[in-house]
Amino acid sequence: MKSSAELPLLARPAWIGPRGTAILLLTAASIAAWFLLDLTPRALIPHAGGIEVAKRFFAGALQPAFEYESEVPPGTRPILVTVLEYARRTVVFATAGMSLALVLGIVLGFFASSAWWRGEHIGGASRTGRFLARTIWPFVWLCTRGLITFMRSVHELLWAVLFLAAFGLNTFGAVIAIAIPYAGTLAKIFSEMIDEAPRDSGLALRQIGSSPITVFAFGLLPRALPDMCAYAFYRFECAIRSSAVLGFFGFPTLGYGLAQAFENLHYHEVWTYLYALMALVIVVELWSGAVRARFVA
Amino acid sequence: MTLSRKQPSTSVSCADPDAWTRVVAGSAAFELHSASVRYDARAALLEASLVVDPGESVALVGPSGAGKTTLLRLLNASLTPSAGSVCVDYKNLAQLSPVELRAVRARIGFVHQDPSLVPNLRVSQNVIAGALGRASFFGSARAMLWPRRTDLERAARILTRVGIGDKLFQRTDRLSGGERQRVAIARALFQDPSALLADEPVSSVDPARARDTVALLCELSRERGLTLVVSIHDIALAREFFPRLVGLRAGRIVFDERTQDVEAGALTDLYALAGLERVETAREIER
Repeated sequence: MKSSAELPLLARPAWIGPRGTAILLLTAASIAAWFLLDLTPRALIPHAGGIEVAKRFFAGALQPAFEYESEVPPGTRPILVTVLEYARRTVVFATAGMSLALVLGIVLGFFASSAWWRGEHIGGASRTGRFLARTIWPFVWLCTRGLITFMRSVHELLWAVLFLAAFGLNTFGAVIAIAIPYAGTLAKIFSEMIDEAPRDSGLALRQIGSSPITVFAFGLLPRALPDMCAYAFYRFECAIRSSAVLGFFGFPTLGYGLAQAFENLHYHEVWTYLYALMALVIVVELWSGAVRARFVA
Repeated sequence: MTLSRKQPSTSVSCADPDAWTRVVAGSAAFELHSASVRYDARAALLEASLVVDPGESVALVGPSGAGKTTLLRLLNASLTPSAGSVCVDYKNLAQLSPVELRAVRARIGFVHQDPSLVPNLRVSQNVIAGALGRASFFGSARAMLWPRRTDLERAARILTRVGIGDKLFQRTDRLSGGERQRVAIARALFQDPSALLADEPVSSVDPARARDTVALLCELSRERGLTLVVSIHDIALAREFFPRLVGLRAGRIVFDERTQDVEAGALTDLYALAGLERVETAREIER
């Protein structure tokens, strides 16, 4: 044995370790991407006609339309009523899509998380419990992970185009188009939040003989719930934007009015719609902030 | 205290016949027979043998890493020994069916080192969670979300007994460390346990609270005739409150005596680093 005087010569860590290498590579990749796309500030300077359009567009920001910019037949609803109606339908589409996505997301998130069965085989679990934890649950977990990856790898607008081709301009198609990728994203994030939440309370329940599903529902889920709730609110905000964009495909949401105003070069009206969308997002943000404040208190 | 004579209900009896005469009705008996626990190659517990009679109070003492937590986890059936056997109420746990095993676990209250509560639930919910070991999923959901009046009243009585009766509907994360510890004890009592096991219950509270908590655990188990096994690193507290001390070091039980018979030397040895090295050397020589 060595005496304490002879300290072992420790290898000095390399000047640039694996982490430094990764950061350097990422930086190089982003610079390369800019070069490959030939992104230069010059591209932002519009041509002569473009400047005129840009001016008119941004002038609209200061003066959003409160009345139609062109003649409308008598008896047409005032523009503000139209905007409100589109805004209402935007929220309705987002809510319908999000409610379906939440249910699916929680169910899939349960099967895509592993905290409730992992470790079940370590001590004291029943033979059936150990069998399930070794074979069935890992298999279900893997399949669910694959499924939710597929669900969210296709964007909601792509789903919308697919459903449009399949079912035509169908309200249910639009709702499903939002619900599928959103459920996939919610399931992924929910499962990660559940797996990363502290496990001590779940373990305590398991030790007094609770079943895995009870452990999940009352030991693990409550620990992740505040984060899950905040994230669901953020996704609701995203759903409102997605639902508005669905209007570009002909669904009666803010995007529909926006697209029409754009086509007619009514830039003041464009801004009325954009401000309405912004107002919706701000309302959701305020609401979620209030709910989160209650969780933290 | 009632004296009764329990008959062993399985073919393999772990019971010491003399112990039967001291059985306290409704409280649990624990026995370890040369139980070892190995995590990978490392032994956390080596051939530990221990008999805890119903209604007895025992303190496990020893430095951290000595195997106290492992021993407690064996007793509450959340760990199975790699060798040897564990008996609870004279039944060998290895021979119990899953349902019987679940029933055994549901009757053993465990107070964790960190309270292991759900901070964003009410105190009442955390206490009622003590009964979830016995309930079905839907029964659990009902008890947690729409608790019965009787459950709430019982939770309130237990909380009053542990000194925080006014906190029933508080959010658990608003409580102080000492109060949370009491909620954890209340949850264990709500289980209607036959034994209380506590793993370093005082390591997360200040010294004054620590004394109160240990005193409370002892009082409660005396009142209810519960078997009490507590792991504790504070020798003074262990000596003051427990009639029997079990010393552990490096995964072995080094002494198991009545407190007044434990020599001061044995305790200093337990924590002395030099002693630890001697054990290591002895083991190397054995090989």
